[in-house]
Amino acid sequence: MPVSRRSFLHALSPAPAGPSSAFVAARGREAHAAEGASAPARRSAGVLLLDSNENPLGPGRAAMEALTRAFVDAGRYPTNARPSTADLREAIAHRVSVRPENVALGAGSWELLRSAVRLHASSARHLVTAAPTFEQPEKMAEQLGIGVRRVPVDKDGRIDLEAMAQAARWAGLIFFCNPNNPTSTVHPARAVTEFVTRVRKESPDTAILIDEAYHDYVTDPGYATAVPLALEHPNVVVTRTLSKAYGMAGMRIGYAVGQPRAIENFNRWGITFNQNSLAVAAAVASLGDPAHIDAERARNTEARAFTTRFFQDLGCRVMDSQANFLFVETGRPAREFKEACARRGILVGRAFPPLDKSHARVSIGTVDEMQRAGVVIAEVLGAGRPVPAAASSPSRPPR
Amino acid sequence: MPRKEADMSFTRRAFVKTVGVGSAAFMAARRSAWAELLQAPAPARAPRPLLLHNNENPLGPGEAVLEAVRSALGQGGPAGRYPWDDVTQLHQAIADRFGVSPENVVTGCGSTQILREAVQIFTSPVKPLVAGQLTYEECAGYADLVGTPVRAIPLDRSLKLDLEAMADAARGAGVAFVNNPNNPTATLLSGDAMDAFIERVHTAAPDAVVLIDEAYHDYVTDPSHRTQIPRAVKDPRLVVARTFSKAHGMAGMRVGYAIGHPDTIKRLAWEGPNALNVAGIVAATASIKDEARLRRESARNMEARKFTLDWFSRAGFGGTDSQTNFIFVDIKRPAKGFRDACREQGVLVSRDFPPLEKSYMRISIGTLDEMKRAVDVFGNVLGVKAKAA
Repeated sequence: MPVSRRSFLHALSPAPAGPSSAFVAARGREAHAAEGASAPARRSAGVLLLDSNENPLGPGRAAMEALTRAFVDAGRYPTNARPSTADLREAIAHRVSVRPENVALGAGSWELLRSAVRLHASSARHLVTAAPTFEQPEKMAEQLGIGVRRVPVDKDGRIDLEAMAQAARWAGLIFFCNPNNPTSTVHPARAVTEFVTRVRKESPDTAILIDEAYHDYVTDPGYATAVPLALEHPNVVVTRTLSKAYGMAGMRIGYAVGQPRAIENFNRWGITFNQNSLAVAAAVASLGDPAHIDAERARNTEARAFTTRFFQDLGCRVMDSQANFLFVETGRPAREFKEACARRGILVGRAFPPLDKSHARVSIGTVDEMQRAGVVIAEVLGAGRPVPAAASSPSRPPR
Repeated sequence: MPRKEADMSFTRRAFVKTVGVGSAAFMAARRSAWAELLQAPAPARAPRPLLLHNNENPLGPGEAVLEAVRSALGQGGPAGRYPWDDVTQLHQAIADRFGVSPENVVTGCGSTQILREAVQIFTSPVKPLVAGQLTYEECAGYADLVGTPVRAIPLDRSLKLDLEAMADAARGAGVAFVNNPNNPTATLLSGDAMDAFIERVHTAAPDAVVLIDEAYHDYVTDPSHRTQIPRAVKDPRLVVARTFSKAHGMAGMRVGYAIGHPDTIKRLAWEGPNALNVAGIVAATASIKDEARLRRESARNMEARKFTLDWFSRAGFGGTDSQTNFIFVDIKRPAKGFRDACREQGVLVSRDFPPLEKSYMRISIGTLDEMKRAVDVFGNVLGVKAKAA
């Protein structure tokens, strides 16, 4: 059922639930003062954080309970702590149905993406990436002086696999984010398999990194993980993160799945001791609690459908989101939209060239948060346009 | 309670007790559902061997630090948020502690990440790394990965880093790495010797960065020691790395930092703060302020270190003059056999450190109680009956 705009207004309470008061007291105000200007600090009370595709609820109860129990081992290296990094690799392997030697850990998948660029690309072998997509691999390539081929997404925001395959010849690495951040779209399993098979045939030395950071949020029945492809092919690797559905962006845990030799390379290049012992304990507990992830997916799906309808009712085209964020055609520069929202206490995503003149990325919070955000966003986008009293127009299904 | 804390091994029982105290106030203040979890006793854990192999602080972080983590993550929310704001706060806290500006500070996922960054940024296939032949391996290990040649300079006869030879080797180098005190030999180079070394390197190799890893700084008791932080702030060719893994008792939290000239620090921050986790950031921010606890930890370590070295000495085994939380002892036999035998009796000691693995062993210092238990095992393994004091 669509929530009316009037209910947005009601939901906009004078004292919205923000981060913990202790946190604000300790850091929020200082950070706020330090930041100054129009953009409020991320953790100021009442600021809605719809800018970083985080899970608004954080880790589940099982994770926090385990984290607390792990305090006894805060002084031990994560290899010695109980549970240890070896236990975490095992828990991930179990969850993904592979063996521990198929799993490499990273301080967030960020670290693994960077390692992949170093391992496979070079000044002679370029990186193929989409435009727009998650920027970390191309940033790394630029830092190392490695060439980058950016392949524009199609008009529906989907990664153009045909053009990516064509650009792959002589490439060192292809970065394929599925679902794609920031466009939120996903490719079905069959398309992914065909793409991998084709690249393997036409450019067998090119490695393919399939980043499934948003895997747990996908609801499209045509989608499936590429983990089986990573086990089958020596130069296909799948990365995942616990920063999204697992609600642990602050804990910095990501992992890569692939054949043992590929994994050994990641381990050799990784930061020594790249896991926090408390985070390891939280992650092991969380991986053993799949019901929590199912509930998080359901929660996100509902808030996503609600927010999608909201934007569509405003007349904005929304890409088919299979993630915990939307990519919205606001028809105005992302920076302008972001600043207007920030002035009203809502942080939304950064600019994503080449779609930075017309699109904005908005992360999905709780339904309550999205209702509050809706009031502000309608105001920002509706400049001059009166907001209808109720959004009882027949709701279009999200496309 | 804070006074007793240093004497108290952070056992499970102590943990449950301190948690009970902390969470009463916590719940009253915030009524977080999560706080209830803190009341639950931790489940029984299987006994484990004495961990004397990784130079950890056996007590872990102080209760104030854990309370800061509890309080910050109290409702679970911040654990789910990227910790960028928090990193800024940590940089400020470190800067305040040393009376420098946040532009002088870079943090990393342990000092290991910073040491790697230094090799990445300041060396190249034609700008080698100069390091001791037996020193902390992070820099040399990373140099191997990225194709930077390593000039490994043998230790002198007293098992100290040979600063003269290292300065001679610095010509044309990108980085001269000095671990002071040095892991695994536990030896210290005086403040005067370091000053002279830095000047010699600057003269011989004006482009080379002197990277000093002071990971064990807080355990030094030799009055000739001086940190090079004040100099690093002004000298663009000098960087000092520190860690929260040792005296701060936070090896599991993965936070290290380096201090230097703003231009150098800016270049060092090559990878940004993405590898830092919020629990570690919050813990480090609290711990950096607690100087008193560091002094207690140093005193505690010194007593246990002296006990252990005295025991070896009475048993006829000499060690270096340890200025750290581990000792480097001539056990007059291969490290491997000693290590394997100790492990069978429930004590883990260090790996091999070539080229001294035929006779030297590194043993980390646990609590005094732990060391009393450990020397019984060492006595069995070495076939000696030296009595504990």
